[in-house]
Amino acid sequence: MADPAGAPCVEVVDLHKRFGALEVLRGVSFAVDRGSVVSIIGASGSGKSTLLRCINYLEQPTSGEVRIDGEPIGIERRADGSERRRSMREIGRFRRDLGMVFQQFNLWPHLTVLGNVVEAPIRVRGLPRRQAMELARACLERVQLSEKSSEYPARLSGGQQQRVAIARALAMQPKVMLFDEATSSLDPELTGEVLEVMRGLAVDGTTMIVVTHEMGFAREVSDRVIFLHGGLIEEEGPPAQVFGTPRSERCRQFLAKLLH
Amino acid sequence: MSENLRQMLDLGLFWEYRSILLAGLAFNFYVFAASASAAIVLGFLAALARVNPLRPLRWLGAVHVETFRNAPDYVMLVWVHFVMPLLIGQAIGMRVTFAPFVSAVIALGLVYSGYLAETFRTGMQAVPRGQIEAARACGMGGVLVMRRIILPQAVRMMLPEAMNNFVSLFKATTIVSLITVPDLMYRVQMVTQQEMRPLPLYTGAALTYFVLIWAVAALARAGSERWRRKIWA
Ligand SMILES: Nc1ncnc2c1ncn2[C@@H]1O[C@H](COP(=O)(O)OP(=O)(O)OP(=O)(O)O)[C@@H](O)[C@H]1O
Ligand SMILES: [Mg+2]
Repeated sequence: MADPAGAPCVEVVDLHKRFGALEVLRGVSFAVDRGSVVSIIGASGSGKSTLLRCINYLEQPTSGEVRIDGEPIGIERRADGSERRRSMREIGRFRRDLGMVFQQFNLWPHLTVLGNVVEAPIRVRGLPRRQAMELARACLERVQLSEKSSEYPARLSGGQQQRVAIARALAMQPKVMLFDEATSSLDPELTGEVLEVMRGLAVDGTTMIVVTHEMGFAREVSDRVIFLHGGLIEEEGPPAQVFGTPRSERCRQFLAKLLH
Repeated sequence: MSENLRQMLDLGLFWEYRSILLAGLAFNFYVFAASASAAIVLGFLAALARVNPLRPLRWLGAVHVETFRNAPDYVMLVWVHFVMPLLIGQAIGMRVTFAPFVSAVIALGLVYSGYLAETFRTGMQAVPRGQIEAARACGMGGVLVMRRIILPQAVRMMLPEAMNNFVSLFKATTIVSLITVPDLMYRVQMVTQQEMRPLPLYTGAALTYFVLIWAVAALARAGSERWRRKIWA
């Protein structure tokens, strides 16, 4: 049996994902300790988004496991050693602990900013309305958008929308935050405010898995960096090593191309 | 001015019979309200079936939509009123008849559930996938996603088209006189038989329907537009 106290916050074990004939992930394993930041880098199409989406089961892994505090999301191991696939409802319960931030923000346009942030705490976690409101206000404060709480998303800039999306994920008080290229669809002058918020979260000790093309940010904020190539982890280590003295030729080429 | 034209424009006769005729108009509203409710419920269920991952359900939804959307109102009305009771009677071995009002509501409810199902489906499918994934990522289950994320947006998106469906449905209520539901048209025919002056009566009915439908539809459109615009700036 897993021991929640000693287990890493997130553990990915031999993860495979196949779309028809295309095998996107071919056996990925890594662990994320509580309070640490892991960045995932790699070329377009290398499977970064797929990996992140498998972690919260937006994509069902073909095989392998994802464990949160030692507990596998997709299957239940009974004491007698038998296994059972979990239902969507049970998987939903794990998802509460995994905050996800998408490249396209994906805010709900019919709800105000505050409405977007309180929705899941009330409906999913069942918090009383007043308590949820307080929590939501605190989260909006954290992304510096308190003054926009009664605005509709369509009236906000991209950077503001993404910060609302971060607040929405934070409001579930997740164990880990997943970021999938949170700044990639933003105009360059708006990426700064979002990265600033993410940096703040990292400093506060939030456990984070960050898929990013912002190498400066990855280098500065991460505890560890993973370079994904062809569905496998090609290089992995502290940022100084991955960015400074990568062992893998492919990783070196990838970084060189970005810097050119 | 010809005698005919003068007669046509002289609505005094229509006015004389106003209380009987307006009571008929009330029947148009009853039929409309009842069949619109039936069409909304059935249409929503059919739309749900059509966006379902289960193939047999999707197929069933498609059959529902294609059958009823392609059935002419009039044919459906006659079929439901005269044929359906016979079939049901055969099946349960008892004589069955439908009251005209009931037949009208079943027939129009079915036909317009076909149109509304497509309107619903288009609205539901217009909600971007990413928003649904965001909801799932927050731990929401299918029912919550439908109720809190998809439907509120789908309803706003489908409103203009739904409004058209409802206007058509209201217009279709004017054929229920064919199976003797005592609506405005039915009463116009009755009065005509007594008075032998069809022109002012039919003109009065046409004007009444036109003004009513036009005014209500315009009001409903204006109201829904303001509501929609708040989100999609
Ligand atoms: N639902 C899907 N069905 C089929 N193929 C898919 C699906 N999702 C992703 N893929 C394929 O899997 C591969 C990896 O995609 P993925 O989005 O994970 O890459 P990525 O590393 O996130 O790329 P990018 O940097 O462009 O976001 C791509 O070849 C993509 O076409
Ligand atoms: Mg991606």
